[in-house]
Amino acid sequence: MNDPGQIDWSQKNSVVGKPLPRVDAGERVEGTAKYPADMALPGMLHAKTLRSPHAHAKIKSIDTMKAAALAGVKAIVTSGDFHDVPVGATIPMGEAGYDMWMVSVINIARDKVFWVGQPVAVVAATDPHIAEAALALIDVEYEALPAVMSIDAAMAPGAPAIHKHVITTGLEPPAQVPSNVCSRSVIERGNADDAISSAAASAAIDTTIDTGHQGYIEPQAMLAQVDSNGFAMVWAATQGQHTTELMISRMLDRPQSRIKVVPVEIGGGFGGKISIHGEAACVLLSEMTGRPVKMVMSREEVFQGGSGPPAAARHRIEVAAEADGTLTAIKGLYRQDCGGLPGLPPSLMMQASAALYQAPNLHLEGYDVVTNKPRTEAYRGPGGIQAYFAMEQAMDSLCQKLDMDPVEFRKKNAAVTGSTMPIGTPFPSIGLTTILDAVSKHDCWTSPLGEGAFPRGRGFGLGYWRGTSMTSACHISISGDGRPMVTMGSADISGTRTTMAQVAAEQFELSIDDVLVTMGDTKSVGYSDGAAGSRLARTMAAAIVEASDKALAELRTRAGRLLQTEPQTLTYERGVFRAPGAAQGGASISLAEIMQATLTDGAILETGVSTKLPLGVEVAAHVADVEVDTDTGQVTVLRYTAFQDVGRALNPTAVEGQIEGSVVQGLGWALTESFDYGDDGRLRNASMLDFRMPTALDVPPVEAVIIETPVPDVPYGLRGVGEVPIVPVGGCVANAVARAIGARVPQMPMTPERVLKAVKGR
Amino acid sequence: MNPYNYQKAATLADAVAARGQPGTFLLAGGTDLIAQMKSGHRAPVNVVDVKSIPELASVQATGDGGLEIGAAVCASKLAQNDTIRQQHAGLHDSVQLIGSLQIQNRASIGGNVCNAAPSADAVPALIVDAAQARIAGPKGERTIALEDLFAGPGRTTLSEGELLVSIVLPKPDERSASAYLRFTPRREMDIAVVGAAARISVDGNNNITGARVSLASVAPTPIRAPAAEAALVGAPASGATFAAAAIAAQTDATPISDIRGSAEYRRELIAVLVRRALEQCAVRLNLEISQ
Amino acid sequence: MSSSQKVVVTCRVNGEDHTVLADPRDTLLELLRDRLEMTGTKEGCGNGNCGSCTVLADGVAVCACLVLAGETDGLEITTVEGLTANGTRHPVQQALIEHGGTQCGFCTPGIIMSAVALLNEKSKPTDAEIRHAIAGNICRCTGYEKIVRAISSAAETSATARAEV
Repeated sequence: MNDPGQIDWSQKNSVVGKPLPRVDAGERVEGTAKYPADMALPGMLHAKTLRSPHAHAKIKSIDTMKAAALAGVKAIVTSGDFHDVPVGATIPMGEAGYDMWMVSVINIARDKVFWVGQPVAVVAATDPHIAEAALALIDVEYEALPAVMSIDAAMAPGAPAIHKHVITTGLEPPAQVPSNVCSRSVIERGNADDAISSAAASAAIDTTIDTGHQGYIEPQAMLAQVDSNGFAMVWAATQGQHTTELMISRMLDRPQSRIKVVPVEIGGGFGGKISIHGEAACVLLSEMTGRPVKMVMSREEVFQGGSGPPAAARHRIEVAAEADGTLTAIKGLYRQDCGGLPGLPPSLMMQASAALYQAPNLHLEGYDVVTNKPRTEAYRGPGGIQAYFAMEQAMDSLCQKLDMDPVEFRKKNAAVTGSTMPIGTPFPSIGLTTILDAVSKHDCWTSPLGEGAFPRGRGFGLGYWRGTSMTSACHISISGDGRPMVTMGSADISGTRTTMAQVAAEQFELSIDDVLVTMGDTKSVGYSDGAAGSRLARTMAAAIVEASDKALAELRTRAGRLLQTEPQTLTYERGVFRAPGAAQGGASISLAEIMQATLTDGAILETGVSTKLPLGVEVAAHVADVEVDTDTGQVTVLRYTAFQDVGRALNPTAVEGQIEGSVVQGLGWALTESFDYGDDGRLRNASMLDFRMPTALDVPPVEAVIIETPVPDVPYGLRGVGEVPIVPVGGCVANAVARAIGARVPQMPMTPERVLKAVKGR
Repeated sequence: MNPYNYQKAATLADAVAARGQPGTFLLAGGTDLIAQMKSGHRAPVNVVDVKSIPELASVQATGDGGLEIGAAVCASKLAQNDTIRQQHAGLHDSVQLIGSLQIQNRASIGGNVCNAAPSADAVPALIVDAAQARIAGPKGERTIALEDLFAGPGRTTLSEGELLVSIVLPKPDERSASAYLRFTPRREMDIAVVGAAARISVDGNNNITGARVSLASVAPTPIRAPAAEAALVGAPASGATFAAAAIAAQTDATPISDIRGSAEYRRELIAVLVRRALEQCAVRLNLEISQ
Repeated sequence: MSSSQKVVVTCRVNGEDHTVLADPRDTLLELLRDRLEMTGTKEGCGNGNCGSCTVLADGVAVCACLVLAGETDGLEITTVEGLTANGTRHPVQQALIEHGGTQCGFCTPGIIMSAVALLNEKSKPTDAEIRHAIAGNICRCTGYEKIVRAISSAAETSATARAEV
């Protein structure tokens, strides 16, 4: 074994907290890391998807005869080949479950199509060129229906109802007729209207946020092989192997014991690779042909309805305060565009948007609306950046009216541990005031803005995300050489193998090189929820701590037997158990020696399952300096600093990486990224040229300032990391722009044209 | 993508012969054509690779001090060319804005021209340099002013069987400078919302003796801006002159609204970019500009 | 639909000659990934807009997705697989590991090839030159700063190594 003596084990947290390189970085830089698109099996077929050209239409008939006759085409599936998943079906995931009907419809359209790009048929052929040619030979007869392309159009009186089964919930008296409004959610405390009308100062903003995209660089890809016994193997780039298996199982109505999902490397997910997007079709096609089937989406497919973008929104926020800056009311009207199928009610996002402020009067009212756009899916703190774009601009306007420093204003009104959350329960551990103190002392806030050719502004913005717990499982086996091997039930989308290797190494007091952490397939490790909701590192660490404790206990028992000493009298340090008096030359035994002697008594195999951990809420505060070209409207971000309370940074490099990347994603949406749908429902900019994600030249270096306020009763005090750093970005940049040009830009992205309009209109 | 045949043309005569066949598309850098083939926008029967034809592959001085640029020469080769850097600074600006470095290492100047996109970055820069297009066809060769090559978005005035061989730039005046600027939401990897090229020549009193202004993305083709040019010629090189030319340029354009910008926004940008391009010319001429 | 004539292509990839029969519709990217089974070069967009498929062709960075198989005849191609010699990684590869410059890893091979092309031209690039050199490579995970730091550090490592020779 490597000499763990190089590590100072007298310090608790000797491996945890270190900026170690990723354990899987070598294969990434050498190009040997395998993503599904890189895989090939003998006899493999290539699948391509026929997608709807209509935003809203009835499918009257599908004729695949001509396509099937094309040489090289081996099988074609349409909706009739799949199990009919009923409306309301869910699979277990988190608190509300995951809408299985939605999953089924985003994988294959049934009698109607609800957006351009929705899958209608899938072809498997010997060559991708042939599969593509076959698509053109499939005759689909559609009856076009009127499309509803915006929140306003969907909510307008007399708008055509897209779904017969959608009747607005949360209305009094209960609604009776179909509507494009899925639900109404209200969070109420005190009387916001009265508080606003009697306040010393108030501010309001009415915002519109365009649809964005997660922008993962790896298009969805998957490979399936069904053997002659009907057992299906699926290699997937997924955020959750077990949830993928559950989804395939429900879509095909077959037992999970006949499916194994193997998670392979994933080229970015950010929430967009939780659902399956073709895996079930590949399993069917493989079963029909007896050959492996691979599907790799094109970039155009990813953007043009083949994946779920995050939601467009229209949020109106009004806030009010006493003359001394004491916040008295927040009133919010939230409208979220969930795309072609009903989404999640917006209440979590609404709560999050107001969570960081203590306001005695609240009226938050939210609606989720269906339109004929692709069904939305999650993206880093779903709904958070949109909501905070509105909230932080309203708060900043209020600060301007009060002539108050934005950070001091937040300090005065900050949520603290034990203060009342919007839902009425006391806040768990939250380090907002610590963050605000750090900001007000930091150079990014105290240094002068400097002069440029054009006006400059400095913006401040907060963000909050609750995060979740759900469940994670792992097992640890100790084999003949004493080294612990951890198999996780979750996928690694953010360096989890590295941080979890640090946790395992810490628990066993070994070097990180002496532990192995792998992603298990669904038949080698128990159910875990996916890598989503800022939950994985926290809950998987808890599972590993539990399994490590058990494994060390068993090792101690064996060591006691071998050393003929009462196990509880042994001390354990750096891979060695020592009997009392060992320092004087008494007996000791290493993990390797224990296993050498006892392997034939049986492997050590321990499990850890963690669930319902205390919340580790995420809070971020951002500061941006911008310069605005007032001739063209172009915004240049000069400097960006992101403060975040992570509880404890398992690996500071990994944490910085999450924050820096997330901020740049946020800058993209804040300034240039927008899905531009035509009236016909077709995305007009379905390319990486016209969906403008930032290049290295478009963003400044992002400085991440890590703050550690540990969460009690959670191993290592961990908070979630990956979601919140995108949440403040839109609002923070908007505030910087507003302070530069003296006018508010209420639309996101704040494109040069929109900014120029604000400049001219001031 | 439909099946097609790929072949290489070794000589200009081969290329002209191949060009006469229906469904033949010429390939140099391929950065536009291949993307268009993938999207189904172009469906060739034959793809003829012309980049190794000697006449298309070289940059040479002409007898009268000008420069002849082979149509298949890639953007990054032009960016490295000393004559272009020194005498055709606007062209030098423009070829470094075509896509990414990876694209510039493939994309040819002739492709940028013949793709006939209204947004082509190199075209306004060539037009202000009074570029001539040397064209070969079944009936022999002809030479036209480059601005006469464009018929509409994606369409040229080349006849059946004709191809662009080279672009000929006359030697610029002694005290003359050019510049190309464009506006894009991203710094690179983007398509011009508006592009503006300018060239001015000045006399000993810093009066403008010659001027050309050309615009991209504001009309169905790249265009000259005659009103802007008229506002410049004979006037002193000053901030006021440049501002007047910038406003005049707005009347030269017929912009439309599309996914990259509204007509109104484009009109605003025309004035900004023309003024800034002229200011850049002045900087390159070491002129002190009064307002 | 008539099938097109296949093209025979001979090119040198990572120092080794390959002669393959390709569909004219295949690009260099498909040639590498599907025919030569070198999957280190990735496809992120297929249209030259993301840079994930960047390789060196006769020493310069190009998008393999925008080069037809037929055009590669006679070209000298270097891919990410060709950078690690005798178990020693290129300084850019090593620096990306050490600086946390690779996360999901999908854009990484393309970034590396753009960085190698830069360092072959300029031994001590500024941060602005580095950012310009990788502007054709979209990364969605890192926010770029750790990549810029890595390339800058690799340039210094290379300079030191050269000084020692």
